[in-house]
Amino acid sequence: MNDIAVIFQTEFVRRIRSRPYLIGTIFGAIGLALIAILPGIMANSMGASSRSIVLAGPPALIAPARALLAKDYDVVATVADAPAPPSIAYLDAHGKASALVVIAQRGAGLHVTVYARDAGADRTALGHDLVPLNVALSTNVPQSRIDALLVVPVDTESLDAKFADGAGAEAAKGIGLAMVTILYLAIILNAQNILASVAEEKTSRIAELLVATVRPSTLLTGKILATAASGVLQIAVWIGAAYAAAPLFASQYGDPSSSAASTAANDALFALIGRIGPAVVAAFAVFFVIGFLQFALLYASAGALISRTEDMGSVVAPLVIPVVVGFLMAQVAVVAPDSANVVILSMVPLVSPFVMFARIAVATVPLWHVGLSIAINLGAIVAIAIGAGKLYRVGLLTYGRAPTFSQVWAVLRS
Amino acid sequence: MLVLDRVQRSFGSVPAVRGISLEVPRGSTFGLLGPNGAGKTTTMRMILGILIPDAGTVTWNGAPIDDAVRRRFGYLPEERGLYGKMTVRAQIVYFGRLHGLAENEAGRRADRWIERLELGAYAKRACSELSKGNQQKVQIACAALHDPEFIILDEPFSGLDPVNAEMLLGVLRDLRESGATLVLSSHQMWQIERLCDAFCIIAAGEVRAAGTLDELRASWPTRTIEVEPPSPALAAVLAAEPGAVAHGAANGCLAYDVPAATPLPPLLRRLVAAGDVNRFERREPSLNDIYLAATGDHA
Repeated sequence: MNDIAVIFQTEFVRRIRSRPYLIGTIFGAIGLALIAILPGIMANSMGASSRSIVLAGPPALIAPARALLAKDYDVVATVADAPAPPSIAYLDAHGKASALVVIAQRGAGLHVTVYARDAGADRTALGHDLVPLNVALSTNVPQSRIDALLVVPVDTESLDAKFADGAGAEAAKGIGLAMVTILYLAIILNAQNILASVAEEKTSRIAELLVATVRPSTLLTGKILATAASGVLQIAVWIGAAYAAAPLFASQYGDPSSSAASTAANDALFALIGRIGPAVVAAFAVFFVIGFLQFALLYASAGALISRTEDMGSVVAPLVIPVVVGFLMAQVAVVAPDSANVVILSMVPLVSPFVMFARIAVATVPLWHVGLSIAINLGAIVAIAIGAGKLYRVGLLTYGRAPTFSQVWAVLRS
Repeated sequence: MLVLDRVQRSFGSVPAVRGISLEVPRGSTFGLLGPNGAGKTTTMRMILGILIPDAGTVTWNGAPIDDAVRRRFGYLPEERGLYGKMTVRAQIVYFGRLHGLAENEAGRRADRWIERLELGAYAKRACSELSKGNQQKVQIACAALHDPEFIILDEPFSGLDPVNAEMLLGVLRDLRESGATLVLSSHQMWQIERLCDAFCIIAAGEVRAAGTLDELRASWPTRTIEVEPPSPALAAVLAAEPGAVAHGAANGCLAYDVPAATPLPPLLRRLVAAGDVNRFERREPSLNDIYLAATGDHA
């Protein structure tokens, strides 16, 4: 146990001080922070470019039109008459508006002309927003009545006890997909780190010195634990950076309105995160550990089989397939968690950590499904550990060309 | 005492070690010699438990070598390896800790070894920045930090310049004086001959000769007789000796291999009777001679 602790400590420190890890952590944090603040940046830039308008037209139309447009546009000014077409200077003088929107009654309906700085900007919302006014003018039905008729109340009742309503189930799908993606990244990146670490020890020839001192299984255990810990630390830094970045951006760079929008978006995000129950969090942890162990063992044995780092790609290629299949099937599982194929795949080792977790995130999975999946996966870990341990022990001291499949098979059978 | 009893190991259909038996007394320094591919490294790996013998046993002080015993062993492999980005001191401390030393104790000992091996200027530098010779010194420190009771050094002198080779010889002598049992392999016979108490010469996975240098010499079937001057009369006497084989005249003398049991006083008397003899010398076989003969590289 002490040997594992020594290896763990040394490997952990060595790893978190390594340049690739530091670069990955820093750039990953920056990347996730950017992803977190990107919607805010986009919203702000869009607001500046296409959401501020000057509204022109008869006062009788201006008032109801302004009210209808308010949900999608920032009406910076209303005027009875405006030059048509307006000059850029005119728009600049009216709060640097992106467009002049002229409304008029033509025949029994409403006609809208937009003079825009950027004619290509999406203004489909403009037509939609003004539909009630157009109908009111055409039918003489009071607009309040039309507003009421245009909204059909739909109530979705969830039959899954896990979710109180349809919105909760929909939110769970989004969260499930996001968490499956994080699970995928966490497993694949850390398993590849194991591969690189083992390959380094093999190619630098330090492996022989290590296995003369400690058992290969001890070495591998310490290495896997250290990589897992450094991986968890890295993910925590990434998520922390994203979590911290959004409000920071909102308070420092956003204008008051967008700040409020960002805060609302954050609130919505936190509300979504709040929907992640402890069972889902526990499932994430369990299936991360299961998936990581399975792939880490496989990648470690693959790393032990190569003598040159250039050969890494050839041994990794077959191992990438189950990861990708698992990730893709997890996306199917999010949509159809109880379909027969998904249920079967949620029991298959290497694939099931992704698929079963996705099922748990979006549906109420029978406990025996979960238990059976975990049991099968634990059994698979034991089997993989035995096989991978043999390959690791033999491979570490074998140099020369990458082994053939028949040689690998012979070692596994030994 | 280290005992190997009929140890065998094959890789696939290729036998690497075929029933090697040898004994290394505690506290002795033992030379394991053989050409490339003879099975030395495989034998060493089996002693250390890195490889498991297909047959036969390896024991240390009468017991199989388990993890606890291995912790008290040291190893300098033929293929040197270090973590390139780890500092010299951290590397030495790491291996000390893997051998059961507490971190502080490993640190203190690492500092002593760094000073002793004149690595002070490199202690905080990454190992990849060191020369090959200095990297080897780091590995020696890694192997010896925990005061092993048994240490295997596979080609310890390769890559070292004469000054550092002499330093290593001093280190090995100190380890021996401290009671450690040493097993060395080297192709540099003069160093091995100076250092070791006993030898085992293996070739093609088999023991070809084993024992102390005196024992090896005693079992050597011939002795070389050198006589000056290289006159025809003296050559005729030597050639007439039963079993004598001309070794060729070199450096102005006659050299003949004669059976080891040949009584020398009568031979000398016959030579003196045949002519003037300025020098008569029986030369003992060197370790190199024995090695070459045992491995079949030289008759």
